[in-house]
Amino acid sequence: MSKLADALANLDEDEVRRLVREKIDAGVDPMAIVVECRKGMDIVGERYKSKDYFLSELIISGEMFKEAMAVVEPMLKAGMQSEPISKMVLATAKGDIHNIGKDIVGTLLTAAGFEVHDLGIDVAPGIIVEKLVETGAPILGMSGLLTPSFESMKETVEAVEAAGLRGRVKVIVGGGIVTERVGKYVGADAFTNDASEGVDICRRFAKEAK
Amino acid sequence: MNRHTVVFEPSGKKGDVQEGATLLEAAHELGDDIESVCGGKGVCGKCSVKIDEGLLASHGIEWSGQVLSPPADEEAELLSRRGLSSEYRLACQARVLGDVAVFVPEASRRSRQLIRKSTIERTIPVRPAIRKYYLELSPPTLSDVTADYERLITELRRSSGLEEVIIDYAVLKDLSHILRSADWKVTLTVWKGREIVRVEPGYVDGSYGLAVDIGTTTVAGYLCDLQTGEVLATDGMLNPQMAYGEDVISRISHTMKEPDGLAGLNRAIVDGIGELVVSITGQLDLTPGDISEMTVVGNTAMHHIFLNLDPVCLAKSPFAPTVSGSLDVKARELGLTLEQSTNVHVLPVEAGFVGADNVGVLIAEEPYNQEEMVLIIDIGTNGELVMGSRDRLLCASCATGPAFEGATIEFGMRAAPGAIERVRIDRESLEVQFKVIGSDEWNTVSSSVKAKGICGSGVIEAVAEMVKAGIIEKGGRFSRKLASSRLITAEDGPAFIIAWANETALGQDITVSIEDVRAVQLAKGAMYAGARILMDRLGITGLDKIILAGAFGSYVSKEHALAIGLFPQCAPEKVYSVGNAAGEGARLALVSVDKRREAEQIARKVEYVELTVEPRFHEYFIEALSFPVPSVLSKP
Repeated sequence: MSKLADALANLDEDEVRRLVREKIDAGVDPMAIVVECRKGMDIVGERYKSKDYFLSELIISGEMFKEAMAVVEPMLKAGMQSEPISKMVLATAKGDIHNIGKDIVGTLLTAAGFEVHDLGIDVAPGIIVEKLVETGAPILGMSGLLTPSFESMKETVEAVEAAGLRGRVKVIVGGGIVTERVGKYVGADAFTNDASEGVDICRRFAKEAK
Repeated sequence: MNRHTVVFEPSGKKGDVQEGATLLEAAHELGDDIESVCGGKGVCGKCSVKIDEGLLASHGIEWSGQVLSPPADEEAELLSRRGLSSEYRLACQARVLGDVAVFVPEASRRSRQLIRKSTIERTIPVRPAIRKYYLELSPPTLSDVTADYERLITELRRSSGLEEVIIDYAVLKDLSHILRSADWKVTLTVWKGREIVRVEPGYVDGSYGLAVDIGTTTVAGYLCDLQTGEVLATDGMLNPQMAYGEDVISRISHTMKEPDGLAGLNRAIVDGIGELVVSITGQLDLTPGDISEMTVVGNTAMHHIFLNLDPVCLAKSPFAPTVSGSLDVKARELGLTLEQSTNVHVLPVEAGFVGADNVGVLIAEEPYNQEEMVLIIDIGTNGELVMGSRDRLLCASCATGPAFEGATIEFGMRAAPGAIERVRIDRESLEVQFKVIGSDEWNTVSSSVKAKGICGSGVIEAVAEMVKAGIIEKGGRFSRKLASSRLITAEDGPAFIIAWANETALGQDITVSIEDVRAVQLAKGAMYAGARILMDRLGITGLDKIILAGAFGSYVSKEHALAIGLFPQCAPEKVYSVGNAAGEGARLALVSVDKRREAEQIARKVEYVELTVEPRFHEYFIEALSFPVPSVLSKP
């Protein structure tokens, strides 16, 4: 494992900053730096899954990743710009206003190379459909903590269907109390209550879409 | 005609009255406040007063022998039945024949005070909505054919000055029968001086009310004497809705998913309160019919379900409740097994997630009357926060989850006998000592102590001790550096053994797992972040006082709670536990109409803050997930 990936995985903020700077000065390919940082984020995801890390570690590492990217990305030559794995639309369903889980997933997805269109909280089905059309994103992620949000998720899936997009859009729902039964009820393709697992599922969807 | 001086103590009211006036008349004339239910018929005995020669001397008046008319046999008998000596007289029967001094005992005063000792001491005037009046009517004759109801209210107006009194329809239906069978001598129960809610034959002593706190998990009842304000009996039960889900959200879901979901939940709580009424009145040899009024508090979901109002609106943004003001509803409309005309007063709610239970806490603790900056935390399945002082008061609700009640914790249980409530971990050896509810001995002293699980306060202590001993790191992960046979790796990750299998009633080790630690982190993170947002809003950097309400607040050790960062730093001696303040608020509203008015005002005045949409909530929450809480207060 590279030192940079390791430093990121261990949440060593100063070391990450120093290594990124050192590599840039040494003329290392900026794309390689991006790849190393992503590896670090993968390790964070693994540790989260094994219960070693918790929400705060996910968020802190996400912030560190964003900071590193802000330095590296401008150096990527045109054409070398890292192509996103996939576009995706993310939202907290209508009737619900909880955003912490959604934001964490959003950060992890961005770190994993997704182009995330986050619509925020309490988002009506119509707005979600509009965004799916506009971006052509093949993945929709919806989050909710309150039970009535399941109803809105269901309505949104129906709206996606009605707009004729269901064939090309995979839907994943998540949240603290989301279960398999909820996933089935709302008509999603997948469910999770684990941010890191959510990223894995979206990666699979992205591959299938290609 | 002669006039004589009459002195009333302890009020000190003094003046001259006509010879032959009763002491009760004298009291009314001179402005002293003596109780009388029967309106001066010598039946109720409420106006018993003590005649005191010594008092007269202190007013510089000479005692002249026969100062009052002698007691009739009935009066003497009534006084001796009430266990009073010959120094006592009924103020309504004793007529003034000379200068006299009278001591009015507490029990005979109309305006009584309830002294409350909480974090501050205060007195509350006892002014229930219910008053009883004993009336003796003249029966109708061919020359006086006034109707029964008009006859009743005319006499009521004459004897007590009550104008514009109406009668409950159900009571009216029985009126003619009761009046005749009772020989026109009846006791009326009048609600708020404007509605007759009960007519009973003869003179009926005693007036009782029931205050009920409908908690998500438990329902508590307080049977009160409406004349003194005292609690005569308390009783509690598990909320029968538990069968439909342990928390508010799952109950609301039930009403959405099942066709008769709301009706079922409503039936469960109404029947449950019915049982509570039977058992609590039974403690005093009373019957449910003796309850003259009931007050109710509960979180908004419990409030809506009890009132048979659809609670779905509470779980959906923007979380507007169906009604927020207080309500007065007849028992029959709610299906309660009380006298059908009995009034049920439901306290107001503050906002979608801050309910009548929190209003109860407010009128019990009165932060709005204090100079000090106070944080009140009512910890249950939802954590409710109130912060502020005399000038401004904010409230908020945070989803702490049921971790503090022991639910969602692997070996969690309610605070019941056998639950581990105290934990100590030796920093060197990592050896554990614990105490269970129902035993005064540490497990290391008495090996007969068998643990059944860990209650909410025990979980807090265990986690705080694990942090102190270095078993849990700042971010919540288990240390890899320490070695102890108590540190194990279970299927779901690392765990720490609090009680070995042979110390439990379960036959297996009781542990605190990484999942449990995470649940505590989430709960305390939400609570702490909520408090921080409210501090920001108020523009303050510190608190003078923290009040912990609810059962959890009574059991939790302040030091451990502070150690894990459950709430902002505050001197431990300024952290108070006040028990079930919501229930106390229901009781105060029961015995004081002034408190009801206060509840109505404060429910409208307190400003609700929706935490989840506060821009900095997220940041504070993440920050507060760690142990111990970084000292954010010292930051610029």
